Amino acid sequence: MAEEFNMEGMLDMYLFENGQLLEQLQETVLEQKDADCFDEDTINEIFRTMHTIKGSSGIMMFDNVTAISHKLEDVFYYIRESHPQNIVHETLVEHVLQVVDFITGEMDKIQDGSPADGDPSAIIAELDNFLNEIKNGAVKEGKELPKANVSEEPKHFYIAPVANSASHFYKIYITFYQDTEMANVHAYKTVYALKEFAEDLLYEPEDLISDDSSISTLMEDGFHILLQAQCTEADIRNVIKTGYDIEKVDIYECKAEEFLQGFDFGDQPAHQIDLESSAEEIEAKVQAAQEGEEQKATESADKPEKPKMAPGDFVIQSKSPGKPKKLAKDKPKGEKAAFISVNVQKMDQLMDLIGELVISESVVLQNPDLKVPGLNLANFNKAASQMAKIATDLQNVIMSMRMVPLTNIFQKMNRLVFDVSRKLGKDVEFEMIGEHTEVDKNISEKISDPLMHLVRNSVDHGIESNEERAAAGKKEKGKVTLSAKTEAGKVWITVTDNGTGLNREKILAKARKQGLLDPDRSDASYEDKEVYQFITLPGFSTNEQVTEYSGRGVGMDVVVQNIQSIGGTLEIESTPGEGSSMILKIPLTLAIIDGIVMETGTTSFVVETGFIKQFVRVTKDMMIHEPTGEEYVMIRDECYPVLRIGDWYGLEDYRSDVEEGMMLLFEVEGKTICLFVDKLIGKQEIVVKPIPSYIKKVKGISGCTQLGDGSIALILDPAGLID
Amino acid sequence: MSETTETIENTREHEEQKDKYMTFKSGNEHYALKIQYVSEIIPFQEITAIPETEDYIKGLINLRGKILPVIDVRLRFSQPSFEYNDRTCIIVIIVKDTMVGLVVEEIADVVEIGDENILPPPTIMRGDKVQNKYVYGIGRVGDTVKLLIDPDKLLNDNDLSAAEQSGDTVDEDEREV
Repeated sequence: MAEEFNMEGMLDMYLFENGQLLEQLQETVLEQKDADCFDEDTINEIFRTMHTIKGSSGIMMFDNVTAISHKLEDVFYYIRESHPQNIVHETLVEHVLQVVDFITGEMDKIQDGSPADGDPSAIIAELDNFLNEIKNGAVKEGKELPKANVSEEPKHFYIAPVANSASHFYKIYITFYQDTEMANVHAYKTVYALKEFAEDLLYEPEDLISDDSSISTLMEDGFHILLQAQCTEADIRNVIKTGYDIEKVDIYECKAEEFLQGFDFGDQPAHQIDLESSAEEIEAKVQAAQEGEEQKATESADKPEKPKMAPGDFVIQSKSPGKPKKLAKDKPKGEKAAFISVNVQKMDQLMDLIGELVISESVVLQNPDLKVPGLNLANFNKAASQMAKIATDLQNVIMSMRMVPLTNIFQKMNRLVFDVSRKLGKDVEFEMIGEHTEVDKNISEKISDPLMHLVRNSVDHGIESNEERAAAGKKEKGKVTLSAKTEAGKVWITVTDNGTGLNREKILAKARKQGLLDPDRSDASYEDKEVYQFITLPGFSTNEQVTEYSGRGVGMDVVVQNIQSIGGTLEIESTPGEGSSMILKIPLTLAIIDGIVMETGTTSFVVETGFIKQFVRVTKDMMIHEPTGEEYVMIRDECYPVLRIGDWYGLEDYRSDVEEGMMLLFEVEGKTICLFVDKLIGKQEIVVKPIPSYIKKVKGISGCTQLGDGSIALILDPAGLID
Repeated sequence: MSETTETIENTREHEEQKDKYMTFKSGNEHYALKIQYVSEIIPFQEITAIPETEDYIKGLINLRGKILPVIDVRLRFSQPSFEYNDRTCIIVIIVKDTMVGLVVEEIADVVEIGDENILPPPTIMRGDKVQNKYVYGIGRVGDTVKLLIDPDKLLNDNDLSAAEQSGDTVDEDEREV
């Protein structure tokens, strides 16, 4: 029942599939944006994509999307068929991206539940102009005028029949006058006329022309037609006029399932439900038809020749042979079907459960009951190690499930560079390195915005205008490189440009104006790194001009905030005249960290391994006590402030003798501090859990975790301890 | 997951459970808590203390992978603390999606207290033993009396006027800091 399709599910599918198609399309287009023209495959791909989007948008009745994709399809149809040589490639790329943007925009609206009300007419008009231009150009060049215009009509014939809710199904009975000669020819004429607007058409007798017996059948039984089309009864009557040959035309509108039953009916009234077929049969038929339609809608496979006519065949059979063959080798569809989208909450839940499993596993395997002397545990140990292996595998799988490659984000940047550089009239090349580096889903969501900002900055401020570059004697093109790599348990994402670099003097001057400089320090005593960090402060922009893309002075501080919120850092390197690099170091995952477990009093603490510089056992004579109560420790001629975690948190029963405990040397944000704890327990992968919101935030504690014995340890946040 | 389900069930069974109360002993008094707030009762387990929190927040426990805060009811009522023993229990309650454990000395019964047996709390305070900022009524069950607790107020100490009434100097000191 076409009307009772689950629209919700269809809409999801529509958005998901088309979203993917568009992403893929944009990627392909951007790949070739600098080429002279699209290659054959790309043209086909764009054509196919637009065709698919047009089809599915038609089903979903998003008319504006249908219209615009149809127009672009036209353009690419023309390009594919007649290979015009006069296309300005850049303009074409722009047009494609324009359309992609439009559709993406509409799909966003749809996703938000608002109507897709964008007006595509401006873009369509532009496309029309563009198409005309290249067509005219082709004429001028003396080429034969392509068949594209002609193909406009036949195109309807290979468009997949779609179960459009706007479609109507009709049963048409035509009775010929008894004295009509060559009724089969008349019937054929009718069929031909109906083909103009039919989405699906089936008639009986099937063989009108070559089989002479059809005439007698026609005279005796009349001519039966099943029609699926988006037209009214009156339209049909317009086409099939009673006249000297046709005595009577009976048209019944019927339901889709009756239509699908084909001619298994007598002269029963159309609205009567077929009682002979069981419900299952009807359902099976409907389902089969749907499946068939899905297949055709995606044009994914070559249709095998079917011996018997059934509804839906007409369209495929009547397409001109061989022409759209290329549609068959679509992008690997199977890959798409292999993905399912899962609620992140469920993933979190699964991960929690697996964490639990790992813990209870260690509870079982290290159960004190097993320590009874004289037990023969050979078999138990065998089974236990097998279980441990599975548990580890499970953990790895769930972790890898949460990891997503940076490819999508990098692609977005590619687009951004393209847009911004064009708008600013700069010639900028974009290079991506290591876009397959994987990060946790949560993290990839959070770095997109900061990264966008950095890339935009690089193109806008970093790269000079073409003239400036020429003046500076720079021969090579402006270039922005986005690279990612995994190092030391962190992902390093670097945005590098070969532009002007940061202007140290300018930044210092601005910092002085804003009162950020220490009046006791000379300008020269500021290290480059320190100077560059100024630009990450709120309200600090050295760009006098506010452009569309940057210079408002908000941004870098937000970037840094966002990065810090996921435990990352931003480093800035720059060489005047040669360019600058923004280096983001972000953790691979938020959920699991490598930590050192330690104990003070009765409380366990965990610190992320990356923060710890070294562990030191100190003696009393290394300690320096200030009269104010502050403590310092001298380690290899360096003096570090000491923080006793027991004092800091007012814990009980902790060791106060420095010689009994352990010093941990931390380095955070360029500052080093010594943390004094009772003892170290060991190194462990820990699953980070938030402190329940009921408890107000405690300084220096960023979360908690479960240890192997099920007890809870608090995760220390060194940055919080330093403040 | 199971907790959420229980919440839903709790809402659905609201009507049936209307007059049912979970009662427990803390100090010399018996307290009663509407049963739809109660998620489960677990035996006492090791609590991980969290520094720099209010006294009555004992710390965190791990309930099948879920980390939840635990409140000592006696400390919350500004009563002297008590030694935890075998009979000490943790009542896990869910109030407005917040899941919290309550450490109580002893679990008593589930009792039924009809509206007609609920009296308003005494308005005149005697000493600082029982603050009626948490107690919204007094339920009679046979010869005994149960103090009906408002769990929302128990968890969220935002009611300043009530806190001032309590005369709890420690609390006030903290607030000034």
